[in-house]
Amino acid sequence: MSELARILLVEDDPRDVELTMTALGEYNLANEVVITRDGEKALDFLYCRGEFSTRSKDNPAVMLLDLKLPKVDGLEVLQQIKSDERLKLIPVVVLTSSQEEKDMMRSYKLGVNAYVVKPVDFHEFVNAIKELGVFWAVINEPPPGSVKKAP
Amino acid sequence: MTDRAEVSTGVGARLTLARWNIESHGIRSPILRYGLSVVSVAIGLGLSLLLQHYQFHDVELPVLTLSVALTTWYAGAGPSVLAILLATACFNYFFAEPIYSFDVSSRDLPYFFVFLAWAVIVASFAAVRRRIEENLRQARDHLQVEVEQRKRREDEIRILNKELVKRATELETSNNELESFAYSVSHDLRAPLRHVVGYSELLQKQASSLLDEKSRRYTRTILESAKRMGNLIDDLLAFSRIGRAETKKTLVSLDQLVKDVVAETRLDTGGRDIVWKIHPLPVCYGDRSMLRLVIGNLLSNAVKFTRMRAQAEIEIGCADGEDEVEVFVRDNGAGFDMQYVDKLFGVFQRLHLPEEFEGTGIGLATVRRIIHRHGGEVRAEGGVDQGATFYFSLPKAQDAAERTADTL
Repeated sequence: MSELARILLVEDDPRDVELTMTALGEYNLANEVVITRDGEKALDFLYCRGEFSTRSKDNPAVMLLDLKLPKVDGLEVLQQIKSDERLKLIPVVVLTSSQEEKDMMRSYKLGVNAYVVKPVDFHEFVNAIKELGVFWAVINEPPPGSVKKAP
Repeated sequence: MTDRAEVSTGVGARLTLARWNIESHGIRSPILRYGLSVVSVAIGLGLSLLLQHYQFHDVELPVLTLSVALTTWYAGAGPSVLAILLATACFNYFFAEPIYSFDVSSRDLPYFFVFLAWAVIVASFAAVRRRIEENLRQARDHLQVEVEQRKRREDEIRILNKELVKRATELETSNNELESFAYSVSHDLRAPLRHVVGYSELLQKQASSLLDEKSRRYTRTILESAKRMGNLIDDLLAFSRIGRAETKKTLVSLDQLVKDVVAETRLDTGGRDIVWKIHPLPVCYGDRSMLRLVIGNLLSNAVKFTRMRAQAEIEIGCADGEDEVEVFVRDNGAGFDMQYVDKLFGVFQRLHLPEEFEGTGIGLATVRRIIHRHGGEVRAEGGVDQGATFYFSLPKAQDAAERTADTL
């Protein structure tokens, strides 16, 4: 497991994972990404449980969260993170196909930090992911207790 | 519900009682009625004689008049007269001196007349009471019929209400289904599309040098089609959202709205020569963002379909009707063949080739849906190469506001 888990990507679709990683790879951020494929695994990672029990205790600098996930869905993960004192500071970006107002409202009410609709156009998609990665993992100063960026 | 049941039991009991009364009063057969007259006087006579036998004197007067009264009460006028005659005869024969003769001694003559007068008075009292009772009974019958009718109507209303609740539930279910349908389209249909676009792009990048021109055109077509499908899905979702969204109605100045939209449109048509003719427009009552979409769609259509004109003319105005206003947007653009006018407002219906004018064909469908949700109508006029005019009507601000206030 990479010690530099600055970005936690929660995405169930392997193709979306590949496309996202391709986009992040263009800014050399790919090796700082931890991928979990469902909400349960994402919570395991954040709470250092199960297969993640040996990881360093630092929080990721940003979490890219899909909404439609197996087992525990994105909104449930978001709710749990934002109601936990130790985790609520982690910046969470919802990254989803859904443009539904209902999803947006619920995400913002739960305290999401950003809501990004995955563009269908690949260039726009790559740009969106790249900008997100750069902003949250490089430009933004994460809250104390997060993984530090490489010097 | 139980209250209602109790009330109806109460009413039922009262009705049964009333019916019993009516039956006991309403002896209709003449034989029975006159029979009652005879029997009642006979019983009265028997009773009087019996009492007299046991040394109770002077009871015949009240007992026999009671017989007359009962006959009048239950059998009516004719039997009453018979009862009076019979009772008088009995009185005369059995109780007025000389006894056992129909003669009346001069000493008992006043007594005899008193009896007769008394019997007549009692009979007429009974008759009057009977008439009053009759009237009351009629009123009660009338009321009873009304109560039953009301009950029937209440039952009907209850059935209709139940039906309505059922319909509402069904509607809600289908609305929810529609919502979850749109939701899954939004979530699940766009993901594979994104992958088609993404991987085609990657393929183009990766294998561009290996592919010949034909293959490169194929990948380009895949990309374009996928993007087009993305637009269609987005448009369809937006369209369905308009149908599901609540309309938040306020007073909207169409003047201001048109000015805003025109200003916005001008930014995108910098190089073109467009003459805007904007007439004064009224204030109407509606959902501002939806009406903005209507005007936006109509104006962007007008701009799009006048593209080939050296000088485009777009005119916006309105005709003031009695209880509605009709706004029009007129252009001197490509126009359309009036025989296809019915297709104009359909979803994904287009009257031009995609090479001529871009677009998915959702704009006018959206306009119609929004206007219908506002209680208005849309129509269009035009000719090929002679421009087009699109009309939409809206209820007047005052009327619409009042109508809404009424329903609140």
